[in-house]
Amino acid sequence: MSIRHRPGRGPAVAAPAAAGVLALSLTACSGKADDSDGGSGGEGGDGVATDIGVTDDTITLGALTDMTGPYATLGASVTQAQQLWVKQTNEAGGICDRRIELEVRDHAYDAEQAVSAYTELTPRVLAFPQFIGSPYVVAVKDRVDGQDHVLITPQAWSASLLGSEYIHMVGPTYDIETVNAVSYLAEEYGLSEGDSIGHVFFEGDYGENALEGSRYAAGELGLTVEEQRIRPTDEDMTAQVTALAREGVSAIVVSAGPRQAASVAGVAAASGLEVPIIGNNSAFAPQILETDAAPALLASYHVASPGLPIGADEGAVPDLAEAYTAEYPDALLDNGVVAGYNSISLVGRAIETACEAGDLTRQGVADAMATLTAEDDGFGAVHDFSDPANPSTLASYILRPDESAPGGLVVEREAAASDLAQSFPRE
Amino acid sequence: MSERLTSRLGWLLGGVVLLAMPFYLERFWLQAGVFAMAAAIGAIGLNLLTGSAGQLSLAHAFFLAVGAYGYCVFAGDSGSATGLTGWGLPPVLAAVLAVALAGAVGGLFSPIAGRVRGPYLGIATLALIFIGQHVLLNAHDLTGGFNGRAVPPLSVFGFAFDDSATVVAGVPFRSMEKLWYLGLALLAAGALFARGVLRGRPGRAINAIRDHQTAAGVIGIPVARTRGAIFVLSSMYAGLAGVLLALAFQHAVPGYFGIVLSLEYLAMIVIGGLGTVSGAVIGAAFVTLIPQVLTKYSESLPLVSAPGTGGVAPGEASRYLYGAAVVAAVLFLPGGLARLPVPRWARKGARDKAPAPTSRNMEVST
Repeated sequence: MSIRHRPGRGPAVAAPAAAGVLALSLTACSGKADDSDGGSGGEGGDGVATDIGVTDDTITLGALTDMTGPYATLGASVTQAQQLWVKQTNEAGGICDRRIELEVRDHAYDAEQAVSAYTELTPRVLAFPQFIGSPYVVAVKDRVDGQDHVLITPQAWSASLLGSEYIHMVGPTYDIETVNAVSYLAEEYGLSEGDSIGHVFFEGDYGENALEGSRYAAGELGLTVEEQRIRPTDEDMTAQVTALAREGVSAIVVSAGPRQAASVAGVAAASGLEVPIIGNNSAFAPQILETDAAPALLASYHVASPGLPIGADEGAVPDLAEAYTAEYPDALLDNGVVAGYNSISLVGRAIETACEAGDLTRQGVADAMATLTAEDDGFGAVHDFSDPANPSTLASYILRPDESAPGGLVVEREAAASDLAQSFPRE
Repeated sequence: MSERLTSRLGWLLGGVVLLAMPFYLERFWLQAGVFAMAAAIGAIGLNLLTGSAGQLSLAHAFFLAVGAYGYCVFAGDSGSATGLTGWGLPPVLAAVLAVALAGAVGGLFSPIAGRVRGPYLGIATLALIFIGQHVLLNAHDLTGGFNGRAVPPLSVFGFAFDDSATVVAGVPFRSMEKLWYLGLALLAAGALFARGVLRGRPGRAINAIRDHQTAAGVIGIPVARTRGAIFVLSSMYAGLAGVLLALAFQHAVPGYFGIVLSLEYLAMIVIGGLGTVSGAVIGAAFVTLIPQVLTKYSESLPLVSAPGTGGVAPGEASRYLYGAAVVAAVLFLPGGLARLPVPRWARKGARDKAPAPTSRNMEVST
């Protein structure tokens, strides 16, 4: 946020214009100094210290989403769920006697758009409860840590986002989730030393981060990992499944998209490879239960997830599902709804805590987030945001597909952090 | 005579306004401006190749990536905690080397670029995009993989283009303010050089090759060598644009340098005007700024809806706009936006000296 003055329309002569530039800019210096250190700011009428994104009656939050790119489905669910939270919160009187406003920017998963949208919103928002696209979160990480000090809860769970006191993932990272998934396979299906598991994963940080988890878990359990790297554009998994069948794998882990998971399950069933298949939470969407692979998915597929599925009948989930359906009757109920709502309500709790402490500055909100050490979010997980080097929880639910449940998933095993997840080395 | 005066005044005023921008605009607009300047440099390079020499290239994004990552590797810290390769060279030298590297890679490809004509070159260059994406994602030591790597800030004789504040006339100058001036200087230099090339013997030679290569050969122009040379020059422009883009991003991400980016550069030169420097600059500004403006003002624009409310999202709206602009340019404005009557002073200069581009530019002459 720099100078607000616009150049006046002076005569078309260079010297006066240049002089005007100088004069105006001299008067403007204080305006720019204000946001330079991010810590010093005004004080609201109620004695609460504030700096950026907070006025006497409004708190502005930012959402950097993808509604037209590859994560459009996730982006739509997360954004609508967050808009629902904003509406509910404002109806209940807001936070800290202030209304909440959510500024949404669609970056279409484009680097230029994402970095620009961040640059545009950062001078005006208190926190970002949504930021889709881990490469772009990484891209602004230095600015967040160095000067902006703005709290972000990204909708990406890559371990490369750990290590900042301002960036907090809600839920376990992909590596931990995969460790939990492999542990579950080992316990439930009796994998033993010498067995091998197949891992089909996207190139890029989601798949590669998950691969670190499966390698670690397999190494500890004495299993071997048969790696099948694919691209997000690969949708037919016949070659991969054939290769895994040739290696005689006893189970398959899928760290890819829903289509790939459906293809793996379908091809494996068709070729007689009857092994359990488990995916990360991004490897499922309700739509795949309408494909030809549905019987195979229902028979052999599981999903590891940081929280309860949207079809669950416990915690805060039924209320959310009902309110969401009432607000968006045509929208799809999927786990993005839970993820988005959960992120923004945790940010909301950090803001409340900061308000009680009388410090609604960005640093105050980030500090308040770090004091949430046993925060039950109502969606099945208990979060500890105090350690920037570790994800907020190590526990994963194991879900299984069910056509009759809203969102297509039901709980198979309650949340648990496997022993291996707890011993996962994190430098 | 008076028109020349008007033209001069126009340039002067435009220059002063551009120079004054960092004192007034917020970081968002400055960043958008730096992106546009970088795109303009890249588009000038592509326009030399496609507009003036009639050679279609889809590999422009690849050469941008070579420039961006070349700079990161040359200027990056060696043996740092990130585990990335870095030579730790002075950033200015690294930038020059990165441009040279882009040129050298273009040179390796120039035997093909010299022999293959028009759209056929487009197909051949497509391969570079896919090779580039594969290398960017998998050469972790050099590129940092999927999440990319941090871009070391430029520093010239101890003056760093980073986020530390340098106070000028009461206004703290951070990275974008400084990069704005760097971008302006590089764009001006790049534009003048390209204009020199186009107006001199090389420019006439490449136009002759575009319009009739046999005739060009008969009058003694070394066709393959000239085509190869213009490909190298175009790659170096892309490399320079890549360095500036990387500096503006502060973090280079491989996903950015894909086929879509190449197509955007083609859209820039078609919309702006094939074969002219001003066309490339105008087209680059149009294509770069439209999505930014639409996204920023999505709430107050008619027909464009705020994200999450249904309807046409800003991202989609800007793609429709490009599409419409490309079609409109091809149908009604073969010379692109640069031929619109609005910038009269610019148009006059261009009409006098530059060859009039026609819709034949992209055709294969037989």
